[in-house]
Amino acid sequence: MENSISSARLKQLWFLIRPYVFALGLAFLFTGVMLGLLGFNVWEAFKTLVTTSFSSRFQIVETFKKFTPLVLTTFAFAIPFQIKFFNIGSTGQMIMGGTIATILGLGISSIKMPSALAIILILTAAALTGAFYSLIAGALKAYHNINPIVSTIMLNFVAIQFTNFVATTPPWQAPLTGHPMSKELPEWMLLPKIFSELHVGFLIALGMVAFVYFIMKKTVIGYEIESVGHNLRAAEVHGINIKKTTLVTFFLGGMLAGLAGGIEVLGVHGRLVEGFAVTSGAEYGTFGTLTALISGAEPLAVPAVAFLMSILLNGADSLQRSLMVPVELVFLTQALIVILVVTMRERFKK
Amino acid sequence: MVESTSNILETRGISKRFGEVQALYKVDFSVRKGEIHGLLGENGAGKSTLMNILYGLYKPDEGEIYMEGRKVHIHSPQDSLKLGIGMIHQMSTLVPEFTAVENIVLGTEESGSRVRLDFSSARKEILKLSEKFGLKFPLDVKVKELSAGTKQKIEIIRALYRKAKILILDEPTAYLVGDEFDQLLKSLKVLVENGVTVIFITHKIREVMQACHRASVLKGGRMQGTVEIDKTTKEELVSLMFTGQNIDVTDSALPNVVPEPVKRSEKPICVVKNLNTRPIVKDGIVLKDVSFEVYGGEIFGIAGISGNGQKELAEAIVNPSIIASGEVVINGNPISNLSTIDIFKMGVFYTPEDRVYEAILPTASIKKNLLLGHHRDEAFLEKMRTLRWNRIKGVSKELIRKFNVKTPHEELEIRKLSGGNIQKVVFARALMNPIDLLVTHNPTAGLDMSSVKFVFEQLLDLRKNGKAILYLNEDLDELMIVSDRIGVLHEGCLVAIFHRDEFDKNRIGALMIGG
Repeated sequence: MENSISSARLKQLWFLIRPYVFALGLAFLFTGVMLGLLGFNVWEAFKTLVTTSFSSRFQIVETFKKFTPLVLTTFAFAIPFQIKFFNIGSTGQMIMGGTIATILGLGISSIKMPSALAIILILTAAALTGAFYSLIAGALKAYHNINPIVSTIMLNFVAIQFTNFVATTPPWQAPLTGHPMSKELPEWMLLPKIFSELHVGFLIALGMVAFVYFIMKKTVIGYEIESVGHNLRAAEVHGINIKKTTLVTFFLGGMLAGLAGGIEVLGVHGRLVEGFAVTSGAEYGTFGTLTALISGAEPLAVPAVAFLMSILLNGADSLQRSLMVPVELVFLTQALIVILVVTMRERFKK
Repeated sequence: MVESTSNILETRGISKRFGEVQALYKVDFSVRKGEIHGLLGENGAGKSTLMNILYGLYKPDEGEIYMEGRKVHIHSPQDSLKLGIGMIHQMSTLVPEFTAVENIVLGTEESGSRVRLDFSSARKEILKLSEKFGLKFPLDVKVKELSAGTKQKIEIIRALYRKAKILILDEPTAYLVGDEFDQLLKSLKVLVENGVTVIFITHKIREVMQACHRASVLKGGRMQGTVEIDKTTKEELVSLMFTGQNIDVTDSALPNVVPEPVKRSEKPICVVKNLNTRPIVKDGIVLKDVSFEVYGGEIFGIAGISGNGQKELAEAIVNPSIIASGEVVINGNPISNLSTIDIFKMGVFYTPEDRVYEAILPTASIKKNLLLGHHRDEAFLEKMRTLRWNRIKGVSKELIRKFNVKTPHEELEIRKLSGGNIQKVVFARALMNPIDLLVTHNPTAGLDMSSVKFVFEQLLDLRKNGKAILYLNEDLDELMIVSDRIGVLHEGCLVAIFHRDEFDKNRIGALMIGG
C-alpha cells in the first residue's frame, strides 16, 4: 500500500516536470548542435554554462546579484499574469524606479541622516515610482480597456527617454564621463554588503518572495486575484471587483520592478547609468518575462526558475569571456526553452 | 438480437473511456434504413459520446462500426460526411453573421470554381431541398436574426445538401417552443419517407413515444436494449432508463415531485418595482418596467426563451450597478447602492445560468470554489484580513459531506467532477449560510435524474422553511413542477403572471414567443 502510494506520487511528479525535462533537453540539444556547427567545443561550452556559477565565491555572488533584480522583474510580470494580463513594462518601471531613486538620493545627499533611513526612503520611493508608473497601464486597462501589452511597451520608451534626460542633464549629470550617467551617490547611501560583494538587496529580494507568497496565498486580495485568473466572469458574478483587482496586480508588479531599479542603483552602480537595467545583453525586464513564462507564474516556482536563469546568464557571460561564444547564443537557448516549455505544457496537458 | 441486413448503421462492442470515467462499455447499436431511431438516456448516459464517435469527433478505444454491412473507419467529421452521416448539434453551429445560403455552401468547395463560390446554382439546389422536405426558411437573412427552430431547419438542409443519408439530431428539442416541435416532427416524417434515416437523441420519453419507430436506451454507458415503440409502454422505457434508481418520473423524464402546501409569508421578501436595466453586453437586451414580488415560502418561476432578459433580471438583484431605474427591495431594504458582497451578506445568493463559465472557477479546488462569494465573510477572516484557510477547509469538508458531493477530498480541481456534483458544490456554496432569497438560473441544465431531483429538493426545502426562491428556467416542464407562480418574460417585459392552478403549457408557451 505504502509503495503504491509513493509510486503514484512519483508518477504525479513526473507528469508535472515532464514538459520541463523535455523542453530543457531539446533546447540544450539544439544549442549543442549550433555550438558544434559554429566550431566550438560543445562539452566545454556546456560545462562553462552550467558550472561557472559554482566555480568560485566570486561567481556565486555574481549569480545572486543577477538573481536579485531578476526575481523582482519576474514577479512584475507574473503577478498581472495571474489575471492573464501581460505587463511587458517591467523594464520601464525598473528604470523609472532607479531614476527617481537617483534624483532623490542626490537631492538628499547633503542632509544629515542615518544611512538606513536614507536607504529606506530611496527604495520606498523607487518602489512607489514603479508601482504608479505601472498603474498607468493598469488604469488604462481597467477604465478604457486598453491592452496592457500596447500601453506598457509605449511606457517603456517614455521611461528610457526620461532616464537619458536625467543622465545627460545637470544638475544630475556626471560631467566628465563618456557614457550618459549621473554623479555618484555618496558612499553612506549605498546598500551595505552582507557577504563579499553581495549587497543587502539580495535579502530584500528574498523578503519580497515571501511577501508575494503571503499576499497570493494568505490574503483575501490574493484569493481574489487567483479567482479572477481562474474565471473572470465567475469572479465578477460573485462580487469580486475586476477593476480593483486589475489595478492591484499592476500596482504590485510595478512596485517590485521599481524596487529592482532602486536596488540596482544603490547596490551595484552607486549612480544612474544609462542601460543599468541590462544584463548579459538584454533587459532584466525581458529576462523576467521569459522567466515568468517558464515558471508558469506560480509564486513558489518563480524564485526557483529565476535562480536557474541566473546561473545560465552568469554562465553565458563567462562563456563569452573564455570561449568567445557570443552571449546571444544563450538568448537563443532561453528563447527555445520558453517556446518549448509552453509547447510541451500544452502537448502533455491531455 | 436478430441480425438484419437492412441495418444501415451498426456499432459492435464500442467502448470509450475518459480518464477515470467509462463513458461507453461494449455498446452494440443498430439503426435500420429509413427509420426514426430514438437514442434515449438521461444526461451522462453516454448518448452524445456514442454519436460523437459516429461523427468522427472521438475515437473509440475498441469496437467496430459498420455501414450497410461494410466495416468503416471514421477518424474525422470529414470521413463521416463522406459516408453520409450528418449531425445536427444541440447548439447551433451556423455562422451568425452569414445568411442561410452562405452557411450551407460554406465548406463545400465542389460548387463552382475554387476561387469564386457559385451561389446561384447552390441557391436552386437549396430551394429544391427545402421545398421537397417542407423545411422553409428565409435564404438571405443573417442567421443571427432567426429563431432556434429556423436555425435547426437550416442545419438539417445543410446536412442534406451534403448528401447525408443518416441524420443525427442531438437533443433537437432543447431550444424549441410552442408548435416548433410538431413542425420538426412533420419534417422528420417526410425525411424518412424519402429514404433518410434519423437518429433522434433525447432524454425525454414523451418525445420518443411521439416521434420514433424504435428506441435504444443507454444507461451509465451500457446499452440497456432496443424496443419497438408500437410494442412498448412509457413504463417500460422508464424502467430501462432508470432501473435501480427508484425515482418517480414524469413523461418529460423529470422527477415527479409534488410541492406540499406551504403558507406563504405575509410580507414579500423581495420586491421588484418598475425595474429597468442597462444592457449587460453591448447592444444586449434590457428589462422594461418589470414589477413583481416574491414571498417567503414561495417559488416564483420565470419562464421565457433564452435571451429575453432572464440573465438581466437575475443579475439586477445581485449586482444593482446594472439597474437604470426602478428598485429592488430585499426585506424592506433598497439595494440600489450596495455591492454584490453586501447583498450576499443580507441573505441573498445566486447560482448563475452557465455552470462552467459563470458559476465556478473550473481550474481551482472545490474548497476555493466554495469560498467564492463568501471570501469576505467575517467568519473566514483573521483580524489582519488574512484568510482562515483551516476553517475554510473544515467548512468545505462539512459541506461535501452534507451535500453528498462525490469527491476524494476538498482539494480536487472542481472541473474533474461530474455536472451533478459540480451543481452540488454550487448549491452548497449558495446555502452555506442561512439565506432568505435564492436566485437560481437554469440550475438543472444538463443534469441526470438524481441530480435534478437533488436540485428540486433543495428548492422545495428552502420553500418549506419559509424562504423565497426566484427560479429562472428555460424549460417550462421543469418550472411547472415546482413553481407556485410563473411569470413570463418576453423581450425584457414581464408579460403575465400565472398562479399554480392556472398553469397551462400552451398559453404560457404562446406568451413566451410573443403570442
